[in-house]
Amino acid sequence: MSQPSSPEGRARSSSPAADQVSAGNALWADVRALLPSTKKDLKLDFSEKVEESVISLLQQARDLLYGAGSLCSGGTRETCLQVSEIIIDYSWEKLNIGTWRDVDKDWRRVYSYGCLFKVLCMCSEQGTIADAIRVCDMGLLMGASILDNILVRIINVLQKHLTYGKRSAEEDTKESPRKKIRNDHTTIPSVKSEEVIPRLHCPSLEHFRENYMIPQKPVILEGIVDHWPCMKKWSLDYLRQIAGCRTVPVEVGSRYTDEEWSQTLMIVNDFIDQYIVNKNSIGYLAQHQLFDQIPELKQDICIPDYCSLGEGEEDDITINAWFGPEGTISPLHQDPQQNLLVQVIGRKYIRLYSPQESENLYPHETQILHNTSQVDVEDPDLVKFPKFERAAFQACILTPGQVLFIPVKYWHYVRSLDVSFSVSFWWS
Amino acid sequence: MVEPGPQRGWFVFGFRGVAEPPAAGAQRVEPEPGGIRVVRPAWSYTGLVTGRGRLVLRGLLAGPLPGRCRDLLPSESHVLLRRGAALEAWARGAGLCGGPAWRRRLHPGETAGPLPLAPGGYVTPRPPFLHPLPLPARKLVLGHEHAALLGPAGTVYTWGSSRHGQLGHGGLEPVSEPRLVEALHGVPMGDVAAGGWHSVSVSEGGDLYAWGWNESGQLALPCKALAEKRPPAAASVSQHEEPGAGEAELKLVSPKAAPGAEAGDFISIQAFPALLDLPEGSEVSKVSCGSRHTAAVTRTGELYTWGWGKYGQLGHSDTASSDQPRQVGYFPANGLSVEDVVCGPWNTYICAVEK
Repeated sequence: MSQPSSPEGRARSSSPAADQVSAGNALWADVRALLPSTKKDLKLDFSEKVEESVISLLQQARDLLYGAGSLCSGGTRETCLQVSEIIIDYSWEKLNIGTWRDVDKDWRRVYSYGCLFKVLCMCSEQGTIADAIRVCDMGLLMGASILDNILVRIINVLQKHLTYGKRSAEEDTKESPRKKIRNDHTTIPSVKSEEVIPRLHCPSLEHFRENYMIPQKPVILEGIVDHWPCMKKWSLDYLRQIAGCRTVPVEVGSRYTDEEWSQTLMIVNDFIDQYIVNKNSIGYLAQHQLFDQIPELKQDICIPDYCSLGEGEEDDITINAWFGPEGTISPLHQDPQQNLLVQVIGRKYIRLYSPQESENLYPHETQILHNTSQVDVEDPDLVKFPKFERAAFQACILTPGQVLFIPVKYWHYVRSLDVSFSVSFWWS
Repeated sequence: MVEPGPQRGWFVFGFRGVAEPPAAGAQRVEPEPGGIRVVRPAWSYTGLVTGRGRLVLRGLLAGPLPGRCRDLLPSESHVLLRRGAALEAWARGAGLCGGPAWRRRLHPGETAGPLPLAPGGYVTPRPPFLHPLPLPARKLVLGHEHAALLGPAGTVYTWGSSRHGQLGHGGLEPVSEPRLVEALHGVPMGDVAAGGWHSVSVSEGGDLYAWGWNESGQLALPCKALAEKRPPAAASVSQHEEPGAGEAELKLVSPKAAPGAEAGDFISIQAFPALLDLPEGSEVSKVSCGSRHTAAVTRTGELYTWGWGKYGQLGHSDTASSDQPRQVGYFPANGLSVEDVVCGPWNTYICAVEK
């Protein structure tokens, strides 16, 4: 085990530790209170997949945290920060080896511990709250839950301290609720009568099960989400207020099959500024489990009773947020679970093709995109994909308050017609 | 030191297994009696074989070591050793105490190139250790999830994961058996190296080719994350409220990852070998890759590095990453000519000789 390096680092000479500590003390005390009270209670148990050298770094960070030389001393903090960075960088590499779903959960936990130790170092000095929230979010996005979801709890504390200092800045935000969200320029596709998806007002569970779920038929449900708080509360202002400084994954490029498509991470405020308010290019906060990351937003939605018709537990239901400007496109694809798609803000044009049409839809041949059609649904290349013309489909323009049932493996194409926020529930 | 120091010596830049201020600069590797014949860095420690055939470990792993040794392949889980009559895998956890976890006798006359090559195949530092190889090989290198092989005629073969284009076949689909990198066919190669998710080769004529993931500029191609980091020098106002640039390089990989390069002129994934030019058209003699960085030695004894630099592994006495090859000034400044380079995952070992 190595000794912490000597505290003669540059950081100390440039930062008068005593002043900063007194200023940052309240935050540090609040965050410190979330930690287990003794070192022994902060257990670092991992499978043998996690190498000894990494365990010893985790222990070193923990020892520094609970040791005599507290984090509020510059030298200790500097060393702890270095150890945290090493843990984060090393586990980040592990998270990028193999496909995401095959990454061992213990490496995700190691990553979260690295973020935890780093954020504690940051909280022990003043002035880095927004950065600290970003570090916690990285742990939430790429790591796994540790210490009773301590990163979520730390964010709650950080946000409280952030609001104290930032009240006036918030009042400056410009958009009034719901203003300008509707778009009047887009050409709205017409939906022919034979393509229409049936609509039902609050059907009983039994009726839905017998007539739609078992026979696997799409249907639009109305009147079932009208009472959800999100229907009234959600606006750009509200999302900024609750989630403005939270880091989220954003898909850049109009569709994920494009060459130029990429994913990036940014805070919600920047996302709204760059892609919702200004419309130079397309960015889409898509397929993200935002409600696990930000429990406060989860209070604005419910889980539709119809999901309980599935075989899984409530915990097995995957809730995803889909938030973006007008013009986001999800190319024609299929998912392995039943889907209830709830439209909260704006409208979306949606086309559905039954799984029986698969051979007319030309799925990509590569393993990665096998669930995605090669055909551009609204501008198909019929020379290349002649059978596409034969494929029967249904379509709709989903409006706020409507819920679309997309059966398992049903092919769907989605294009937003306005600034749009949808919530999807995947269940089995 | 009164005795005449050896003219040739090893130096190291970058991570050495413990928390220390990064970019501490070059450090001389403590010489060994008989000289240092083999340098093999793992992440948290480094294995050396001395000119007298003794195994020495430096860093986070030390302890009583088995006797004589010719070659080694260290990792965080196991250390593979080639000794006189056998290949052995020792669990790292035991500090190389007790006995090997795996052993294969070498029969008289059985030969192979440097590890991980082994008679009839190659070894990896985790069970089942030995894998068959259907081709003869001069050199074999391992990435985090791919392998590259240099054949006797200077042809390059790759296999394993190609999610980041590291196989150089143009696609992102995995390949289970060694497959010829066709884009390089007809240009005999003299050296090959594998980083974590990238690959590099050097032609007999001294040209450099690179392919795979350019996440930190390790291919010396324009890297988006680095471009985004450059401007902030000017904007120093209200820095605390700015999202820290430190995380910009962290990319999220979701199950829905799709192929393709990033927007604009930036390259994230280079799925075919790209020809790289070093400044002044220098010809390359040797190349080595760390997890996310690359180092090349020219025929005139200069060292160039690029890619991830957070732990000082590029040798420029800073922690910056670079998507352009930069010459390491330390050696010319000290009258040294570089002969060899061996990258560990987060560090760089250099053998240099006085001019």
